[in-house]
Amino acid sequence: MNLRFTDVSYTYHTLSGETKAVEHLSFEVEEGEFVSVIGPSGCGKSTILSLAAGLIAPSSGNIARGGGQFGYMLQTDALFPWRTVEQNIFLPLEIKRKNTPEMKRNALMLAEKYGLKDFLSKSPSQLSGGMRQRVALIRTLAAQPQTLLLDEPFSALDYQTRLAVCDDVHDIIKNEKKTALLVTHDISEAIALSDKVVVLSSRPARVVGEHEITFGGGSPKKRRECRDFAPLFETLRTELGI
Amino acid sequence: MKNKNTNYSVQHALYLKKIKRNKIIVHAARALILVALIGLWELCAQVGIFDPFITSSPSRVVTTIADLFAAGTLFYHIGITLMETIVGFVIAVVLGYAIAVLLWLNEHARAIFEPYIVVLNALPKIALGPLIIIWMGTGYTAIIFMTILVSIIVCIMNMLAGFVAVDKTKQILMRSMGANKFTMLTKLIIPASLPAFMNTLKVAVGLAWIGSIMGEYIVSRAGLGYLIVYGGQVFRLDLVMAATFILCLLAGGMYAIVAIVERVVVKRRG
Repeated sequence: MNLRFTDVSYTYHTLSGETKAVEHLSFEVEEGEFVSVIGPSGCGKSTILSLAAGLIAPSSGNIARGGGQFGYMLQTDALFPWRTVEQNIFLPLEIKRKNTPEMKRNALMLAEKYGLKDFLSKSPSQLSGGMRQRVALIRTLAAQPQTLLLDEPFSALDYQTRLAVCDDVHDIIKNEKKTALLVTHDISEAIALSDKVVVLSSRPARVVGEHEITFGGGSPKKRRECRDFAPLFETLRTELGI
Repeated sequence: MKNKNTNYSVQHALYLKKIKRNKIIVHAARALILVALIGLWELCAQVGIFDPFITSSPSRVVTTIADLFAAGTLFYHIGITLMETIVGFVIAVVLGYAIAVLLWLNEHARAIFEPYIVVLNALPKIALGPLIIIWMGTGYTAIIFMTILVSIIVCIMNMLAGFVAVDKTKQILMRSMGANKFTMLTKLIIPASLPAFMNTLKVAVGLAWIGSIMGEYIVSRAGLGYLIVYGGQVFRLDLVMAATFILCLLAGGMYAIVAIVERVVVKRRG
């Protein structure tokens, strides 16, 4: 077990009232597993990641984390334009005070391995959207987290780039044997990427379905081509109530 | 990176030529207007349409500046005003930035001091003139103080707005990496608000000139503002116009320096 939500509820408080974002939510992410959480927009998906990362504490219930660090990847790449690609990748090391020569070397090896070698001294503005998202992923991996929390990391990309980046990110995460929790509203993305899909209701979010996916041999492209893809898509659609 | 390819198509060469020609037209028109205005002013004064005693004239302005130079006081007055303005400007920017940082760090302080800042901003600072003279004396400390007073509030408000406007996603990212407020400030808020800082410099440089000249109007024994007030009192409009002209050059020059610094800084960031 790498991450387990048990009966977790979370309520937002604002001056105009309180909003139940998540209610009695339970699910589990195994070590090395890629789990997607899908739900209607505004159902509190991002809240789940904030809870998982420990940025906010649950109002009730329990979140168990099985060791290792968490790395967060957001909707936009959030690269700092005043830093070069290399300096962006070193950012988490600087903040966590882990910028030892060894950690830096590791980060650079990752960058090299995933084709960023020629871009290290460039500014993020010189990179394409897909490339920027890859830099964001390598930046997340630089701090050597065990678990990645992905908050719709492809939603800011155009559709074609999105397909490519989606495969790219999936491969890198699998290759590095990381655990991943992805929240998205995109059904086909969730099916293509995940070992397990958790379907949420509209707010307050509860689990309405859980699906282990084994077909397609783990490659997003093969998954999309598989004939089990369409029926599952329909099932998830029904569960989402669309 | 800029594309250094020079093998342009004919259309592109034409396009570039057109842009260049438009630029020349704008510059030429600007120069022409200036020359025409000065020429017309001189002509009217010479022919007698204007009374040069009231309006002065370009030639008399030049003579006055030459006289000031010959008397050795030209650079003395310029130096005094320039010193007051620059010292006031630097202190206002540094202090304003520091206060904005403190207010950003502490939300309570921000909420508590907000109405004070708003009132201070709305207050016409010249109303404090008599107080400043009594507290600071009649030397240039009073004028520097006035300069700071006029420009600091805008520095605080501009910078605070710049800090608060920093991309929320980047702040979440920093927090998810475990950044504390101080790290957030040094690694994200300060570099990200650099454009706001450059903008603040531009506004502050203009206000610093207002502050120093206003200060010299209230109390001074030297400086360009002093020359203007003195010239007005003894009806030497040549002196007023000459000092105003020099002021134009200095203020424009200082703004240009800030603008160039901005361009360099922004370019280096890529």
